[in-house]
Amino acid sequence: MDTLKEDLKKQIIEQLNLEDITPADIADDSLLFNDEGLGLDSIDALELIVLLEKYHGIQVTKPEEGKEAFKSVNTMAEYIRKRKS
Amino acid sequence: MEKSVYYISAASTISHQPTFGNAGFSKSICALEADSSLITPDFKAFIDAGLLRRMSKILRMSVACAKDCLAQSHLEQPDAIIVGTGLGCLHDTEKFLNTSLTVEGLLPPTSFIQSTHNTMAGQISLSISNHGYNMTHTQNTLSFEHALLDAMMLLDDGEASILVGAADEYIEILTEIAGELNVRPARQLTSAASFFIVSNAPESDTVACVKDCWPIAFPESKTSAINDFLQRNELNAAEVDYVLFASLLPEQSGELVDLFTSAGMSGERCIDYLAFSGIYPTAAAFGMHYAADLMRTDRSIRNILIVNALRSENLGLTLIQSVEA
Repeated sequence: MDTLKEDLKKQIIEQLNLEDITPADIADDSLLFNDEGLGLDSIDALELIVLLEKYHGIQVTKPEEGKEAFKSVNTMAEYIRKRKS
Repeated sequence: MEKSVYYISAASTISHQPTFGNAGFSKSICALEADSSLITPDFKAFIDAGLLRRMSKILRMSVACAKDCLAQSHLEQPDAIIVGTGLGCLHDTEKFLNTSLTVEGLLPPTSFIQSTHNTMAGQISLSISNHGYNMTHTQNTLSFEHALLDAMMLLDDGEASILVGAADEYIEILTEIAGELNVRPARQLTSAASFFIVSNAPESDTVACVKDCWPIAFPESKTSAINDFLQRNELNAAEVDYVLFASLLPEQSGELVDLFTSAGMSGERCIDYLAFSGIYPTAAAFGMHYAADLMRTDRSIRNILIVNALRSENLGLTLIQSVEA
């Protein structure tokens, strides 16, 4: 099990106050901003930027990076690893 | 400009009493116990899950009551949304301030966005896609009366149906502040929301209307103000069937009760509604729903006066009259 991805799911649930959703409900590749995924919106995108700084010490300074990074838990984990390497 | 009649076409309250979706609740109302809690509906029945997760208690209660009112009155869109709140969205305000003190770097946006007093009116508007007049009044314990007065003026101006209400939210720090100030409230400090549709035409089941509302800051004499208010509505104290009052000072309560019992009213008909609602700045809105519900359950009641002296420097007077069948 990828610990970073599991941690990310827990952090997303807490930061976005996703009631009735457990980490098991979030597939690694499901699209976060798609209605068939978590159906997040623009305010959630801001919350995800805060999440990356709060839990991982990463500042998203380029908006185009965020657009790509926040597609799914997979892309978020990939982005964190890349920024920390 | 001719004054309209301000019919109460719908009313919805979330409180410690079984008020929500329960016409006739005034028959089963009872004084709050120390461990009493709010009786809330299933909010998911009124609010989309995606929005619900972000909403604090005050927002959930406000949107649910607003939507319940629209359903009761079979109204898709009100001409205006007006909200009174004494202290606003305290939960999100506290959350945002605490975060700003403890977190370095970026602050989470949701609690900041939803910490402003006008969030309730805004969220109601967003949830029903309403583009009409949207206003929030915050005037301490007279916030609801000011909101109601605004609604009445809009009806005078030709609007047909206004969604007007009030909400306040308790957080723990209010008890701490009361302790620091050596204030020991006789009733529980709490949260609640009440919303109404006030209209210029009655529905088939409309039983009550708002005859007049007068918020007064720093009245020289409360009894004189009450007498003036009754006089301008061509009433005397003996013609009032019930007085619903809010006061934290026993001598002030005694003075109010004396004014009406000396005119022949039974003491049992002078009711301290804070005993049922608990204390929050806009409890007068609970009083208005209670008055309308009393009129629904007893059609012989003609006039109910709501006397809001929750803050001793302020006086809110609202006269509710029955509507002839």
